[in-house]
Amino acid sequence: MKVIELQDVTRNYKVGQVETPALRGVNLTIEEGEFTAIVGPSGSGKTTMLQLMGCLDRPTGGRVHINGQDVTRLNPNKRADLRKETIGFVFQFFALIPGLTAYENVELPLLLSGAKKAERRERVNELLEAVGISDRARHRPDQMSGGEQQRVAIARALATHPVLVLADEPTANLDTENGRQIMEIMVRLNQETGTTFIFATHDPRVITFARRTVELRDGRVTDNSRHA
Amino acid sequence: MFKLWRIAIRDLGRNKRRSALTLIAVMMGLALVIALHGFEMGAIQGAVETNIRVQTGHVQVRGESYDADKVSLKWEDLLEEPLGLAAQAQMRAEVRAATPVLWASGILGTVEESVGVRVFGIDPPSEMAAPFREGLVAGEFLAPDDRGGVLISQRLANNLGLAAGDDVSLLINTSGEQPDEATFTIRGLYDTGLPAFDEATIFLPLAKAQAFTRVGERASAVVVLLHEQEDAAAVAAALHAPGSDVLTWRDLNQLLVEGMESAMGMLYMMYLIVMAIIAVVVANTLLMSVFERTREMGILAALGMKGRQIMTMFIIESATLGAIGVILGVLLGSLGVYYLATEGVYLGGDIDMADMVSADIAYAETMYARFQWADTAVLSAVCWIIMLLASLYPAWFATRKEPIDALRAL
Repeated sequence: MKVIELQDVTRNYKVGQVETPALRGVNLTIEEGEFTAIVGPSGSGKTTMLQLMGCLDRPTGGRVHINGQDVTRLNPNKRADLRKETIGFVFQFFALIPGLTAYENVELPLLLSGAKKAERRERVNELLEAVGISDRARHRPDQMSGGEQQRVAIARALATHPVLVLADEPTANLDTENGRQIMEIMVRLNQETGTTFIFATHDPRVITFARRTVELRDGRVTDNSRHA
Repeated sequence: MFKLWRIAIRDLGRNKRRSALTLIAVMMGLALVIALHGFEMGAIQGAVETNIRVQTGHVQVRGESYDADKVSLKWEDLLEEPLGLAAQAQMRAEVRAATPVLWASGILGTVEESVGVRVFGIDPPSEMAAPFREGLVAGEFLAPDDRGGVLISQRLANNLGLAAGDDVSLLINTSGEQPDEATFTIRGLYDTGLPAFDEATIFLPLAKAQAFTRVGERASAVVVLLHEQEDAAAVAAALHAPGSDVLTWRDLNQLLVEGMESAMGMLYMMYLIVMAIIAVVVANTLLMSVFERTREMGILAALGMKGRQIMTMFIIESATLGAIGVILGVLLGSLGVYYLATEGVYLGGDIDMADMVSADIAYAETMYARFQWADTAVLSAVCWIIMLLASLYPAWFATRKEPIDALRAL
């Protein structure tokens, strides 16, 4: 089943009077359960592509389908609902809510989706266990290392059982060991839950974890290959 | 809504210093308004009640042609049968006491100096005389059949170098507009704590005053005291008869009531200014909070929070902060009112109240605040609503950012 389908997608940004293309006619399909790396140098359009896939932005041209639904012209509220129900995000800078504990950060999407307290407690504990930081549940982000924060972010991204997890440079701010551990967690969760993972990176060590690589250059897909 | 409330409450606890400073601003502003309002209203209500107690009563029945400014003693201006009118009023359940009084103007003199006074002819055992009976500080009170005694205030006695037992001369206008003079002995000295009133008022027994002014058994008015101030209009309507004029405390204290209303107008303007300052502080704080939390709003939007939910979250934050601030403000303001209600503010002594206000307004030397629960509830609600309104712009501003723009702050 196609989780993502980009059809001739373009995205231009206007800076002053100058219009700069970030994506130029991208066609791409991602199937359910894939573990895909979007790679390419800085400014190649990786983040723009993830933002379009995550319904955080709208394309200038072309169509974006998520789970078979054309999301190109959805209004902001419908896009918010779709993000809440279908997509989990992991950002480069961890992006946890500063005043909330690890537990509360993971609980947040469940609160937004209206899950009951018992259900929330069970799910949060399960996820914190899965990413290996149960003992840090009551700690706030400023009391945790970067690697621990990114684990919390992964647990939060998976809280509502999303179809798709989008990770933008998830290891960029981590040392080699923590970066490797984060990637191993993502691979394991992808295999255990069947959740589709797409992550943007330009770190060659991280790319080796991907079973599929989509390479972007100057807003165009220049390579799209699956690995064994 | 509950989940938004939970998130909003958590946000409040995150920047404790900012939340505390906003709380302090709301609390201090509202406390100031409540304490000031309690004091002003207490002072005004106290002045009205004092004036009713010592001068006007709740209702007065007068002759239709009686001119209070001229202190007329002409027979045609006076009440013909005041005792009958007082007895008629006394029969009503709302009436606590009704008694005839006679007012005249005169000059009180000693060997060395003289001073203009208002002469009150009162029935000494009546309830209208109670404030002066209770305020007796030297000598004894007047007896109804006393033919040669006068009661003056201690303040006046001090001014003239007199004491109880001394003789004074009293020159008075009579009903025939011919002045008459007689010597009286000061039976006692009173002190009501109302400087302007005390300095200008002396008392004679009603019968002596009537005889001295040659008005027969006539009186200037029948003064009626009620159990409840609110019954004044109804009692006035019931006592109205052809040839008489019936006035309520509101008519009789018009100068004071109008002064009150204009003073309250100014005060309400001040309250609005204080509330506007609170609103600016709250709006500024929330706007800073919005700027600081741009990235969080991007995260929340990425997690699926809608624009109106983000707006609601900020409004809940403001509403919660406002509610706590209002509760603390009411507590602190009530403490202020309690202090001002028990200790009061001393305005007498060096301030010559007689120069500031008419002797017809009996201002006390010390003014006390009073709790105004209904007004406090209204002021608190207005303060809270102003906080909510002040949060609208920052809350709306927070929703203007697209998730992608907010996330760029990451």
